[in-house]
Amino acid sequence: MTETDSTPNRTAPTDAVDSVDAVDAVLDSLDAGDGLDGYNYAYLDEHTKREVRRSILKAIAIPGHQVPYASRPMPLARGWGTGGIQASLSILGPDDTFKVIDQGSDESVNAANIRRLAGNTADVETTTDTTDADVIQTRHRIPEEVLTDDQILVLQVPITDALRKVDSSDASNRRRHAHKNYGKMWVHLYENVVEYGEINIAARYPTMVGGRYLMDPSPIPRWDVPKLDDADNLFVFAAGREARIYAVPPHTSVEPLAFEDREFQVERFPDQSCRACGSTDTYLTEIETDDGQRHYVCNDTSFCLKRQDNEELPKDHHLDREGVDWGPGTPNNTTADSGGDAE
Amino acid sequence: MGYVAVKAGEEIIERAADLFEKQRVDGDEATLSVDQIEGQLDRLTAQAMSEAGLYAPRLAALAVKQAQGDTVEAAFLLRAYRSTLERFDETVVADPAEMFATRRVSPAYKDVPGGQILGPTKDYTQRLLDFDLETDHEGDEPDDPTGDWEVDDAEPEELTNVMEVLREEGLVHEPDSEFDGEPTDTTRESVTHPVDRDEVLQELARGETGAVTALGYSALRGYGQVHPTLAEVRVGKLPVKIEHPYTDDEVRVTDIELSESEAVVPVYAKRDDPQFAFGYGLTFGRNERKAIAMTILDASIQLDSTSEPAENPEFVLDVVDGMDSFGFIEHLKLPHYVTFQSILDRIRGIRDRTGVTGTDTADSTDDEADAPEDDADPADREPAPMEANTDD
Repeated sequence: MTETDSTPNRTAPTDAVDSVDAVDAVLDSLDAGDGLDGYNYAYLDEHTKREVRRSILKAIAIPGHQVPYASRPMPLARGWGTGGIQASLSILGPDDTFKVIDQGSDESVNAANIRRLAGNTADVETTTDTTDADVIQTRHRIPEEVLTDDQILVLQVPITDALRKVDSSDASNRRRHAHKNYGKMWVHLYENVVEYGEINIAARYPTMVGGRYLMDPSPIPRWDVPKLDDADNLFVFAAGREARIYAVPPHTSVEPLAFEDREFQVERFPDQSCRACGSTDTYLTEIETDDGQRHYVCNDTSFCLKRQDNEELPKDHHLDREGVDWGPGTPNNTTADSGGDAE
Repeated sequence: MGYVAVKAGEEIIERAADLFEKQRVDGDEATLSVDQIEGQLDRLTAQAMSEAGLYAPRLAALAVKQAQGDTVEAAFLLRAYRSTLERFDETVVADPAEMFATRRVSPAYKDVPGGQILGPTKDYTQRLLDFDLETDHEGDEPDDPTGDWEVDDAEPEELTNVMEVLREEGLVHEPDSEFDGEPTDTTRESVTHPVDRDEVLQELARGETGAVTALGYSALRGYGQVHPTLAEVRVGKLPVKIEHPYTDDEVRVTDIELSESEAVVPVYAKRDDPQFAFGYGLTFGRNERKAIAMTILDASIQLDSTSEPAENPEFVLDVVDGMDSFGFIEHLKLPHYVTFQSILDRIRGIRDRTGVTGTDTADSTDDEADAPEDDADPADREPAPMEANTDD
């Protein structure tokens, strides 16, 4: 509950004056003329942004724990990044540079739409270069280039609870989190192994954060899960429809659930390289061409363009140190197809 | 190079929006005015207001026009607008008895204090297409079918609520509620379970009409115990009052049109003192169907059971909101190639392992893990239920 909700106390005459002031403030803001006419800076009112920031701070304080917040209706459909955009707009300032990617691409229509909303209302610079951005909002990917300690990655979250796979009731799952009772998830994974010989979870791979909370890392591919572990940057996960925020602070352990004899595996692209830049150490997606061919191409389009200019460009090229561990295919992971930290 | 990045920036978005807008103005006909929509299609505007949780008939008519008649989209426009508005005050708690009812029926009794008021309704007519309506706009003035009615202008009296009759006899078990005088606002505080009844009623009142109707029907159809008897269904105008910020006097600021429904359900909470359970429904505008369905759901949710969908508050509140379901259902149109690649990797890996690799499957891989040497023929199994790759 924020101050937004406070209603003037009907018996105190001073508050009556306050409510008149509030009307004036609204009228003034309508005349301000910055960005989108008739709307507050960064679209949301200041109380809402403060509430979202407080929820983010709480989420940082309890890594992996889902913090409820009063998700506002946004001028985007719920399920299309409304949580992410509320988090982004709440932490962006006019000096910040903002990047939006959807499925790894800056040019996706939905990414363009979200970028336009932030550009129009928050008056921020936008970029497609991962290394230039202060805040990056993303749907389903963590960029290939290493993120730094002055960057924030805001991930759009459709389903907030990894336990939803095994129980549809959030009330029951909240109890499980409180008791760190993840037995049902372990049984689910075990049954996976019994039935298919391996864990068949594709994206949204359940991860343990800080050894305490089981977290749904949003539908990033397994390829990106190792990047969450001991990163330099802050990860903010925001769900609009389900009204929850959670976070992975810098240098927090994030471990995908797996068994000793059935290790966590990232996606494999055997003998494939990006058709455009030749990369073999990036997440590839396949495209089917008109003439029936199947090609693999980099999913992170921004980094792919850089690699097209410089084939050898390492993922940590922008840092003053080398050999930074950042997911599969980076120096500390010698085998490109087992990027996990599973033990 | 076979690969062309999918480039679709702002220009493409604008062109798609232009094409959508063109659909509205296509043809030679004059465009509908907002006044026409507000006056003649008020079922549409009422539904948009109800699902938006914002009583604003003219804005709703505008939203319906902009959404080309899609009520959920119109409600979405209103909600997004509503969320940017400052909230100044709460109204004085309204007393539904003050409603100026244009329609009031009480199925529970043959006759009730104040009488049955049929009011404007199509309920008892034959649903035949009226082909005269095809051409009625061509005349000068539309005929008012009530034009020559003789109506005396006596002040309407307040109607005694039928529930009062039952309450006086002690037949009604009041719903458990920990209401402390401060209503929760579920648009400003997210719902967590267990929920209070005021949260349930708010969420149902904003629920999507079709969803509320379907879930209410599910209880009647046998997936639940609640088969209510309606004490009253009312449609009318209710005065909205606030306390004046300077004088503290109660002042009436507007009237809002509402549909209200109250029901009793023979579900006895106590064996020794059997009483009816009670259900309530209220929506903006004329929407009796939604109000009645909401009544069923309110009564069902009070049973708080997980055995029937309509009685499970978590289930009902999770699925009843049109904005949520509309957004998430339609988001499936967004690109999903990242997650789909991940799913392809899993299904091909498992097919490789179990030896069902088809001719066109990409490449076999060396797996550290051994293939399961179980006896089941994979072809006999159900297809692998891949994990839901649901996403935002």
